[in-house]
Amino acid sequence: MRILLDKFSKSFGSTKVIEAMDLEVGSGEMLALLGPSGCGKSTTLFAICGIHRPTAGRILFGDRDVTNLPSQERNVGVVFQSYALYPHMTVEENIGFPLTVRRLPASDIKRRVAEISALVHIDNLLGRRPSQLSGGQQQRVALARALIRRPDVLLLDEPLANLDAKLRLEMRSEIRRLQKETGITAILVTHDQVEAMSMCDRIAIMKEGEIVQIATPSEMYNDPRSAFVAGFLGNPPISFLKGKALGGAFVSDDGNFRLPLGSLRDIGDGRALTLGIRPEHFGPDGDLAIEGKVVFAETQGRENLYDVVLADGSVLRSIQPVRDDVKLGDCVRWNLSSEAAFVFAEDGRRL
Amino acid sequence: MRTSRTLGIIMIAPAATMIFLFYLMPAILTGIFAMTNMSTATGISGGVYQVTQSAANRLQDDMPELAAGIAEPRFVIDDEGLAALEALKLKPGYVAELRGQHVGAVFASRREAERVIKALKDRPSTREVKQISDLFNRSVLNTRFETRDALIGSLEKLGFTMTPEEQDKVARVTYTGWVWTTDNFRVIASSPDMAKIFFNTAFYVAVTLMLFNVSYALFLAVTTHYMPPATASVFRAVWLLPRITPVVIYVLMWKWLTWDNGFISMFLGQFGVPPKNYLLDNAYNAWFFVILINGFIGASMGMLVFSSAIKAIPQTHFHASEVDGASRWQQIRYIILPQLRWPILFVTCYQTLSLLASFNEILLSTRGGPGRATEVWSLAAYHTALNNYTGNLEYGLGAALALVLVVIGIVLSLIYLRIFRYDTLISKPLIED
Repeated sequence: MRILLDKFSKSFGSTKVIEAMDLEVGSGEMLALLGPSGCGKSTTLFAICGIHRPTAGRILFGDRDVTNLPSQERNVGVVFQSYALYPHMTVEENIGFPLTVRRLPASDIKRRVAEISALVHIDNLLGRRPSQLSGGQQQRVALARALIRRPDVLLLDEPLANLDAKLRLEMRSEIRRLQKETGITAILVTHDQVEAMSMCDRIAIMKEGEIVQIATPSEMYNDPRSAFVAGFLGNPPISFLKGKALGGAFVSDDGNFRLPLGSLRDIGDGRALTLGIRPEHFGPDGDLAIEGKVVFAETQGRENLYDVVLADGSVLRSIQPVRDDVKLGDCVRWNLSSEAAFVFAEDGRRL
Repeated sequence: MRTSRTLGIIMIAPAATMIFLFYLMPAILTGIFAMTNMSTATGISGGVYQVTQSAANRLQDDMPELAAGIAEPRFVIDDEGLAALEALKLKPGYVAELRGQHVGAVFASRREAERVIKALKDRPSTREVKQISDLFNRSVLNTRFETRDALIGSLEKLGFTMTPEEQDKVARVTYTGWVWTTDNFRVIASSPDMAKIFFNTAFYVAVTLMLFNVSYALFLAVTTHYMPPATASVFRAVWLLPRITPVVIYVLMWKWLTWDNGFISMFLGQFGVPPKNYLLDNAYNAWFFVILINGFIGASMGMLVFSSAIKAIPQTHFHASEVDGASRWQQIRYIILPQLRWPILFVTCYQTLSLLASFNEILLSTRGGPGRATEVWSLAAYHTALNNYTGNLEYGLGAALALVLVVIGIVLSLIYLRIFRYDTLISKPLIED
């Protein structure tokens, strides 16, 4: 089911969290609300599920206006960051709770709990209590509870934040699998760009209550609209160089480094610019040599990470296939791919 | 090693002393007193042996002869009496004749003794006969003996022969101090008064506990939970007032409300209803007000405990249950109440013990009246041991009443722990991956 936020605003007292946000999530789509903490992504989620009422604007599920409906009447499933499992109920009672409060016959509840728990692979744990489950198992119970009454919308609030790295990887694909199998419209709130990129059809990046950019993960990675978006996506993150335009080229502040701007050569001289260079675009290959000193080196098994300090003190990151000829403190001369560099204006806008 | 162990003992000594003196000793002493018949009459130190009329009456059933005998005066011609007679310096023939012919004679009545004295050769005058017979009066009635041997010796000299069992019996009934006994419990078990008081107590505790200390407190806690925080704090503060008002003042307010010239009477007087004391008018009214007074004071604690317990439930549980479709009532039923099991157990347990032991509100309002309609166990203990109408404070019986209360409290606590399945509340989680 399609979800539409129309000029949605939310403030708590005099604090305006979100102002006039428009957002559309297509039916069966999984969208990530990605942003740093305090950007309003959880507030948006809570407004969609009805825990918070919008201060202004409308929320539509399909063509139905649910703006003023209490959560009980919205038919949404929510997985909370803390899972919010009821500690005094067994797994079976927890999963069946949305049906119990609708007074469905016990046999129906039992059957549907069995179905959904098989789907999330916890059908062997039905008699346990939440305190007797591991984090991943609790996560699956929370998912099953959110899905059991076939909600129109599945909302996930940082669902992987409390899991260890291995489980996070496993649950990432698991949640995506369930979302695809059930064909449900889903919104994932997260501050982890890897989660957002790996699980979702589209990402909405939020900053200070506003959506900065909505795009598919690859579009967003390759064509960020601002320095903020470019800085948020990618691990290890992009590095920035400060400088200004001079004769159709980017020149670093100390004048040692010069990069032709190609299609942007018409930018007026003296305008302050920021260059964004992703780590994979700085290394032995490339068309523009640059010198620096290795101040950080880390191996990740398949790849090595390096931080290189340039003459003006700015840092460029590099990710390369494993090599053992470069050590901490070495002076290196590596190359940039000038085509792949992003150019940002002083206010962070991409040029 | 050794020094640290000694140090430990030294460190714990003040606390241990305190615990012993102020926590264990009262309980131990209650137990000890309960096994005695201590009262104002017996005192709390030792007693003496005294043949009183009431002691004689108590012997009436088992040893009627002896009972009649010791109640009567006895006359014995003995050396002591003869020496006293010599000192009177009457005619020396009296002494000589009595010593010669009558030493050791025992007369069961004054008349028999005086007949012998009158028959003396020197013919004493009637006045002298009286004077002489008084010297040989060896009645034990109202005589105090410091020891048991003195009592028995004296009785034997008077010609009462007793088997050792009879001696025991006589010693027992004439002893004025306290003795070890289990009679207190026999009295409690068999007295219809105590049965009535027992049911009073059960009724009072059960009704106050269920209606006010738990239900009403839960109601207040749940309703304030759904209020905005500022409003909720105001309401909580108001509901605490009965608790923080001095109980004497608080009960006085109720008396003003219910007295025959109180508010209810004055108000109903407008409509021609004759004034009356609604508090002590009849047993139903008395119970009604006693339970209200205690209930409004007692509910505040449950309210605070339950409120904080509800606050401790993570906010996301409420969010989650709303999203899951639970109505407010279902939230209370499925989320709040099950998670309040331990606080409810605690309040039930604590308030049961507190209600069992407390009587000050009842004492201040109805004094257990009308009649003994609202007399509860602890008030009966107080009346028995500390404020008896007849003036004979029965410490022993009072202590026994208190001991019964303690035992009932312990038994009830154990039952509650079972009902609320305390063991499952504290069981360890079986976390595994």
